[in-house]
Amino acid sequence: MQRMTSVCRRLSSQVWSSLTMQTIAPNLSAFAASSSTTCKVRQKSTDAAEPKEEAQTTQQFSGHIPVEELEFSYSRSSGPGGQNVNKVSTKVEVRFHVPSASWIPQDIKSKLIELEHNRVTKEGYLVLTSDKTRKQMLNQADVMDKLRSIVFKAAAKPRGLTDQEIQLRDKRLAKSKEETLREKRQRSMKKQSRGSPSVGSV
Amino acid sequence: MASTRDTAQRLIRSLPRVALHNIKSVQPKTRKKVRRSFAKGKTHGRGHKGQGQHMTLPRLGFEGGNTPFYLMIPKEPYYQNHHLRRQYPPLTMLSLQRFIDLGRVDTSIPIDLTQLCNTGLFNVNIDRKHFGVNLTEEGADIFAAKINLEVQWTTELVIAAVERNGGTVTTRYYDPKSLRALIDPLHFFKRSTAIPRCRLPPQDALEYYSSASNRGYLAKEEDIEVERQRLAQKYGYVLPDLHADPGSTMLKMRKDPGQLFYGLEPGWVVNLKDRLVLKPKSPEHLEFYAS
Repeated sequence: MQRMTSVCRRLSSQVWSSLTMQTIAPNLSAFAASSSTTCKVRQKSTDAAEPKEEAQTTQQFSGHIPVEELEFSYSRSSGPGGQNVNKVSTKVEVRFHVPSASWIPQDIKSKLIELEHNRVTKEGYLVLTSDKTRKQMLNQADVMDKLRSIVFKAAAKPRGLTDQEIQLRDKRLAKSKEETLREKRQRSMKKQSRGSPSVGSV
Repeated sequence: MASTRDTAQRLIRSLPRVALHNIKSVQPKTRKKVRRSFAKGKTHGRGHKGQGQHMTLPRLGFEGGNTPFYLMIPKEPYYQNHHLRRQYPPLTMLSLQRFIDLGRVDTSIPIDLTQLCNTGLFNVNIDRKHFGVNLTEEGADIFAAKINLEVQWTTELVIAAVERNGGTVTTRYYDPKSLRALIDPLHFFKRSTAIPRCRLPPQDALEYYSSASNRGYLAKEEDIEVERQRLAQKYGYVLPDLHADPGSTMLKMRKDPGQLFYGLEPGWVVNLKDRLVLKPKSPEHLEFYAS
């Protein structure tokens, strides 16, 4: 478990908990509750609920990535490891065409390409690799984690100011302006008082 | 099963009234015998003068001031409470794949501890505080068998590796008595005793076996389905649809929490000699074994 937390530390627990049943499994079919008595061999009969063709909401990225639309390829990892690293394909590479990806909201695709321009090819393919661990499955999980966090970062909206913050800012600006004017007036009076007094002034 | 309270009440009603003639003290009071010997007079075994006679001897283990032996030797508690902890001897996924490839294990029926012990290559020794099999991650990448697996301990990677190939995993607890029957069913059936009802896990194991992320046998089916989807997203594989699978009946087979063998209920007696299965009929027996 220690190994897994080091691989998938990018996503906070909040994000993982937000991957609810609805977002993870939109096409989940319900199991019919088995009404057998105790100790019988349970055979779950399923309510053949048709998998709903859920329209991909293009408003927000939910965290769900359709794995069938990604292309995985495996190769040998770098680094030390003797015969094992020479023979076993543990390095995982994932690629997909960003402009034609149906699962990413349209408005964040350009942002995504801009943020990850180092990892995007000329044709528009985002390529991610991982050879962090000795196991291909763990590297694949690492790559999925990377991809998910990249898309979340691209989807993050800049935080606007709240009303309170705007009020505070305006108040401070007004005060500093007032202070500047006061100093100017003082300086001006100081300079004026340096001249010789004219007839008629007290 | 009748509760302790009901049993106690029934006993109180049926037994005779408590009286002096039908009760006994828990421990018979024995008077400490006064030792009187003719030979041990005068100093009474204490010698002459000194600490021995004056009752001022120091504590046991004292060596006159230097650090005594029992404090000099350091403690090395490497195996402290070792005898009280549960052990799950490991079996790698690589070994399991090898068993399947060599035909030592039948994949067309659910694979549980009995199947693994029947290979003769995996042994569970109850006297060594073994509580079942621990399926480890070695060989998870190359695992390619679709099985209905039941183990006693495993990790997330193993669960993902099995489910990726269209199989199912369940973690299941067996108490030592049930485990003994499970490891060698033939030996158990030869004794012709009633099949025991499996007990719930102890307090510290209850959380593990009730958790859907560990595919515990006490967890809810809906939670397990959510966890399956979550794991598929985490490890990046398409989760095979169990419903569409032709072998789905076998893959969905699960034992009840109290059930020990597939197809057999607790309370039944298997007579191997006459090839019969005897089932209890009385309501008390049925209530006991069903509870």
